[in-house]
Amino acid sequence: MRKIGKGLIFIGCMVLILFLSGCSRKEEKVLNVLNWSSYIPDSVIRDFEKETGIQVNYSTYSSNEECLAKVSSAKEGTYDLIFPSDYMIEIMISRGMLEKLDTTQLSNVGNLDSLYLHQSFDSQNQYSLPFVMASTVIAVNRDHIKDDIDSYQDLLNNDYVNNITLIDDQRIIIGMALLANGYDMNTVNEKELEVAKDWLLQLKPNIKAFDSDSPKNFLITEEADIAVLWNAEAALAYQENKNIEFIYPKEGSALSMDNFAIPKGARHMNEAYQFIDYILRADVMKEIIESYPYKNVNQATQALLDPDYLYNIASNIPSDIIEDGVYVKNIGESVKLYDKLWAEIK
Amino acid sequence: MKKAVENIYLVLIFLFLFLPIAVLILFSFNTSSLNIVFEGFTVHWYKDLLQNRTLLEALFNTLIVAGVSTIVSTIIGTISAYGLHKYSFPGKNVVNELLYIPVVIPEIVLGISLLSVYTLLKLELGMVTLILSHICFCIPFVIISVRSVLEGVDPHIEEVANDLGASKFQIFTKIVIPMLMPGILSGAQLALTLSLDDVVISYFTAGPGSNTLPLQVYSMIKTGITPDVNALITIMLGVVFVLLMVSTVVQLRRIKKEAIS
Amino acid sequence: MKNKKLWKYFFIIPVIIYVILLIALPLIYILIISFFQSDYYGGMISTFTLQNYIDIFDQVYINVFLKSIFVAGVTTLICILISYPFVLAISHKKPATQKILMTLVMVPFLTNSLIRMYGWLVLLRKSGVINQVLLGVGVIQEPLSLMYNMFGILIGMVYTLLPFMVLPLYSSVSTVDPQLLEAANDLGASKIKTFFKIILPQTLPGLFNGSLMVFTPALGYFFIVDILGGGKIMILGNLIKNQFLTARNWPFGAAISIVLVLITSLVIFAYRKLGGKMEDLGGA
Repeated sequence: MRKIGKGLIFIGCMVLILFLSGCSRKEEKVLNVLNWSSYIPDSVIRDFEKETGIQVNYSTYSSNEECLAKVSSAKEGTYDLIFPSDYMIEIMISRGMLEKLDTTQLSNVGNLDSLYLHQSFDSQNQYSLPFVMASTVIAVNRDHIKDDIDSYQDLLNNDYVNNITLIDDQRIIIGMALLANGYDMNTVNEKELEVAKDWLLQLKPNIKAFDSDSPKNFLITEEADIAVLWNAEAALAYQENKNIEFIYPKEGSALSMDNFAIPKGARHMNEAYQFIDYILRADVMKEIIESYPYKNVNQATQALLDPDYLYNIASNIPSDIIEDGVYVKNIGESVKLYDKLWAEIK
Repeated sequence: MKKAVENIYLVLIFLFLFLPIAVLILFSFNTSSLNIVFEGFTVHWYKDLLQNRTLLEALFNTLIVAGVSTIVSTIIGTISAYGLHKYSFPGKNVVNELLYIPVVIPEIVLGISLLSVYTLLKLELGMVTLILSHICFCIPFVIISVRSVLEGVDPHIEEVANDLGASKFQIFTKIVIPMLMPGILSGAQLALTLSLDDVVISYFTAGPGSNTLPLQVYSMIKTGITPDVNALITIMLGVVFVLLMVSTVVQLRRIKKEAIS
Repeated sequence: MKNKKLWKYFFIIPVIIYVILLIALPLIYILIISFFQSDYYGGMISTFTLQNYIDIFDQVYINVFLKSIFVAGVTTLICILISYPFVLAISHKKPATQKILMTLVMVPFLTNSLIRMYGWLVLLRKSGVINQVLLGVGVIQEPLSLMYNMFGILIGMVYTLLPFMVLPLYSSVSTVDPQLLEAANDLGASKIKTFFKIILPQTLPGLFNGSLMVFTPALGYFFIVDILGGGKIMILGNLIKNQFLTARNWPFGAAISIVLVLITSLVIFAYRKLGGKMEDLGGA
């Protein structure tokens, strides 16, 4: 019987030890990164850890809204480095959620192509620096789909029942419907949104799934033959199946520029700078771009990239596409119109 | 005839239950990494597993969360079950009713309300909040399990022990706990199972550095799972299976003994 | 005397703290913020409003409620239909065999539910195992759409929740007196008649218990819908998750959660009215 008393003491000690070991782990150098899923290869993070001795805790999100929600619902200082897109940078700046960047701490900041600096959402790059750029694109598996496709309207074809995968992002997909109907992608006009809704409901029978994290898998496993997805995902699908064709629709594409940003009150600011500077290195960015071929914004890296990347329109987005493309903009409270519309479509 | 139909039905249901697991185990030995067609036998995913730090860390976190929350909720649950059985105090009925909330409420409601409170209290999301949340939904199950045994216990035993001069502490540790052991153990087992199985509550209450296996698999399902995950699942299932078999054999022996005597 | 009081406190203080801090406080807080206003950026303005509850009565959200109740209801029904013959067949076995079979039922459930969903994904997708086998045998010419639709969601739900129906049904079936069944048999009652006249009435408590433990979780399992439904179908769980994690409208998410709690309370009220006992729940 005495054993049980001893057992209790033993268990108590175990609990204590576990809690203490949990606490002591905090003493190490850590960096809490919150990033898009499928954006930075594991190997880059591991190499960074080896080089600097900093432990990286990596969490992911699959939309800008999720990033905002995670940062604002967590206690201030939980995350040290985030990668929001253009309009989300604007929102976060307006809400005082970002730290001003001290570029003197970044020895590799000169590697960035000035073409991509000073964007309207942060004209002085006080709070953000560009990481990569992305564009939506239509990818088609030519093994199964022979029709000409050059417009979003072509997706309404009755032959494509249950055969299209879309990005699971309300601003992008509703934006696509608006573009398809000749409206501004950032409209807050309820009538135009109503038209977009009807268009999407018409498209719905053709939709196989909404997925933002890895729509390429739908193309690779031939689960769907058509996808509206981010350019790098299309390029990755192409690596597995050379019969995948990329189409930038004539109505224009949605653009997105993703940026480094440090949330207010970040507790590992130095580590965050170290990480940004590490990624800005030409060779490191090359490794990232090769794993996830988005549009590179790093001049030093551009010289290192091979033709496979440079001549693939899905990875190295042509400049006329960028000119015709549209960024998602901050529309303030009207976002609730989009929220509701999204629930109606799903 | 009737027996045959019954047996076929049982086989079919067990097939349904084991099919998804069997595929995962099978593909852990597959040379192709795509989990689509079985192309050839290999064990190299098991070697890969040892290199996959993200996955091993997630496993470690899962085991810590499950271990700590099982131990803590079993201790608190046992003490509470005894307290609720033995003593009366104002508001006891309310406490009794509230205890069932984590059992019956959809997990998502518990998940978001805990998240909101952690935000309100400015608690940093991480291992601590994750363990707290798991303790939260495990305790009622332990209490229910221990209480069901308590109801069958003869209250006179404690009185007799008291008359014989045993201290309260002695009575609790040497008489009550051993008598409640079956309930405590099944409560602990339940808590462990629930903690290992949970997705929804962890999804809302985990933070950076507290990635658990289910959360890791959730994000990997979306970005593509590598077969070293299958290897890990296979190992875990193997361990669980052996443990379960041992416990079943022990119980079967007892059933047989009882049948003889 | 003082010692005795301390001793009492030792036993009741933990549970009181637990109930207040981890159950009452979170739920009350959710109730409070459901009356707050959202600023659409994840912030909340603490002015009282009923707008969140009024918004729920929009056709869009009513549809989500109806769809969720449909999914949960059908899941419960399928679980009942599968479980009855299953536990009856098991109860006809020898005690030792019963013990082994019931342990086997639990084995898959000792892995995480998400991992099992991944198993289904590998089985059900277009290039998945089931389609490969059927195509290979020549039963079908075109791969079947087994997931990214309602069918996939129901498979996932039934699979995940089946043990919550099987366990209580099994324990109530094992309380049915075998002599009663024999008597019915001797008197020439048909199988169906025996089931409806003897087995069903005696196993009702287990049936109600199981139904409750299947129905309410099914309303909230967003990850099953996410993985096997392809993000096209939304149930209450997804709606709440979105309000908290993407739409940044916590007050609205809180209001939906409160309505979900009300639905659950109604189900429990019905369960109690039908003679169900709370302490039977969760005793799996």
